[in-house]
Amino acid sequence: MKGTFSWKWAVLALSIAALMSVGCAKKQTVKSEGDQTPPAESAPAPITEAPVAVAPAMPPAEAPGVAVTEEKVSKFDDVRFDFDKSELKEDGRKASGVVADYLKNHPQAKVLIEGHCDERGTAEYNMALGERRATAVMTYLVSLGVPKAALSTVSFGKEKPLDPAHNDEAWAKNRRAHFVLQ
Amino acid sequence: MKRSVGTAAGVFLLALSLFPSTAFPVLYIDINAPGGKRMPIAVADAAVGSGDPSLSREIPKILSDDLVLTDLFDLIPPTAHMETVTAAHFSGKPLSFPGWKMIGAEAVVIGLADVRGDRLWIEMRLYDATQGTLLLGKRYTGTPGQLRSIVHRFANEIVYTFTGVRGVFGTEIAFTARSGKSRGKELYIVGMDGRDLRKVTDNRSFNLFPRWSPDGQWLAYNSFRTGAPVVYLRNVSTGAEKEVIRFGGSKAPGGFSPDGAWLYAGVSQAGNSDIYRVRVVGGSLEKIVGGWGLEVSPSPSPDGKRIAFVSDRGGSPQIYVKTIGVAGETRISNGAGYATSPSWSPAGDRIAYTVRSGGRFIVATVAPDGSGSRDVASETDGDCEDPSFSPDGRSLVYTYRKRDYSALKIISTDGRRQRTLVSGLRDVGSPAWSPGR
Repeated sequence: MKGTFSWKWAVLALSIAALMSVGCAKKQTVKSEGDQTPPAESAPAPITEAPVAVAPAMPPAEAPGVAVTEEKVSKFDDVRFDFDKSELKEDGRKASGVVADYLKNHPQAKVLIEGHCDERGTAEYNMALGERRATAVMTYLVSLGVPKAALSTVSFGKEKPLDPAHNDEAWAKNRRAHFVLQ
Repeated sequence: MKRSVGTAAGVFLLALSLFPSTAFPVLYIDINAPGGKRMPIAVADAAVGSGDPSLSREIPKILSDDLVLTDLFDLIPPTAHMETVTAAHFSGKPLSFPGWKMIGAEAVVIGLADVRGDRLWIEMRLYDATQGTLLLGKRYTGTPGQLRSIVHRFANEIVYTFTGVRGVFGTEIAFTARSGKSRGKELYIVGMDGRDLRKVTDNRSFNLFPRWSPDGQWLAYNSFRTGAPVVYLRNVSTGAEKEVIRFGGSKAPGGFSPDGAWLYAGVSQAGNSDIYRVRVVGGSLEKIVGGWGLEVSPSPSPDGKRIAFVSDRGGSPQIYVKTIGVAGETRISNGAGYATSPSWSPAGDRIAYTVRSGGRFIVATVAPDGSGSRDVASETDGDCEDPSFSPDGRSLVYTYRKRDYSALKIISTDGRRQRTLVSGLRDVGSPAWSPGR
């Protein structure tokens, strides 16, 4: 008989099973009393399938990554943002204007705009918020006539605070876009 | 099994013989009963054939510590045990069950260990002391260094036998921390018992957001080591790596589909982060959630049919749920606080998340339809963030931070039991609990 499901037989089999289970309420179906060998379905489980303990204590030597972790000193002021916001304020527009003027006078120059957040809130959301901040600045610079090809963005979320202190003053400094001449 | 019996019934009969006790109240533990009675269990000193005699105490110690951690068992103290277990008990000689019952045990665990050369052999058995019957027996073999792994496996089987849900011993937590004097962050892995702490990356860049593949063999993560963020898959045993997501700006991997074929991630294009999924093999891409809001942190349901994620389309970050392939998303956080970092329980019934409440961040859980929100982890001073469920859905690992101090903590989902998992590293965070072993 192929795999066609038959309700009659299923109901019958389930009824038999139910009767069996009531009748065997106190007996463990794995093995009856007195039989001390382990049950057949518990065949030896060789632990070698899961080599958790085999992982090396030290990771394989890796070349040190490009040094993104160090703060790059900038000739330009940072653009600052309010908490959870990515709109440029008056100071931010002024600071961006200085960058725009520089780039117009130095057509070969390129600028990387870093987006940053303060430490509050969770890392993934802040990573995306930093990208939004950097892009807001880039959009503004383009509106001032800077060619898009001169600009790029990267977000560091809250991973790279300018000021590691845990107070409002530090947090305000950390909510920023930072300009890096390439 | 006769072919004339319907397939479903056949599976039911087979299931009866494999899961002896879950349907019967004799030795049944309801893990969802709040403050339920613990089962009194005795773990006897192991019989040791050839090998270090200290195994006799070491094996029951590892197992007892595991059973205590579940909060489902009361361990009968070894000093009360009256019968000495020998190799004879594994080849026909019955245990003296009245003696075990007299000291209060409803279940007894015995073990036999042998070390021959570089090979360790262990047989372990679980008995119902009231009925005097064998519930579970296993034989294991491995290297002596795998002793703990073997005993953890048996602990998981014991929990499964009594509750129908597998224990989580031997599982691990991946996380990030700053290493040494470096300003970067590396990936680490630690056992759920706090042992076997080890570094996974060592490139002194930013390595962030580790997420386990369903088979537990790979970690998806984001690294800045080339100068820009790229999502990689790193094999945790071999160290082999493959690049998975390079396009776009900011990016963070979320969870995988249950078959491991797709990785969900939040990725920014033109400054706006949306939810995508990427085929792990082949790299083809689908946008799952778009729009002008900022969308991050996708966490798939265990059946892979829905995802929880964060969106600020309403003005502040909140948790939403979407059914894959069906238009529309439903907000499930209450819209008041700032809510992020959803983690869908492998049991399917709860979503954990971080929410700002009373001026600091706390960990809460909610049903996938948005009802029944409960605070789980909070401190009056400091933030509790980034929860990740254990594979049995009974515990959460999360980050606690207070100014310069940070630690990983584990809390039961009823909030009653809490312990510190990792402290002493700088800026620990982003914990991710591995799948079951």
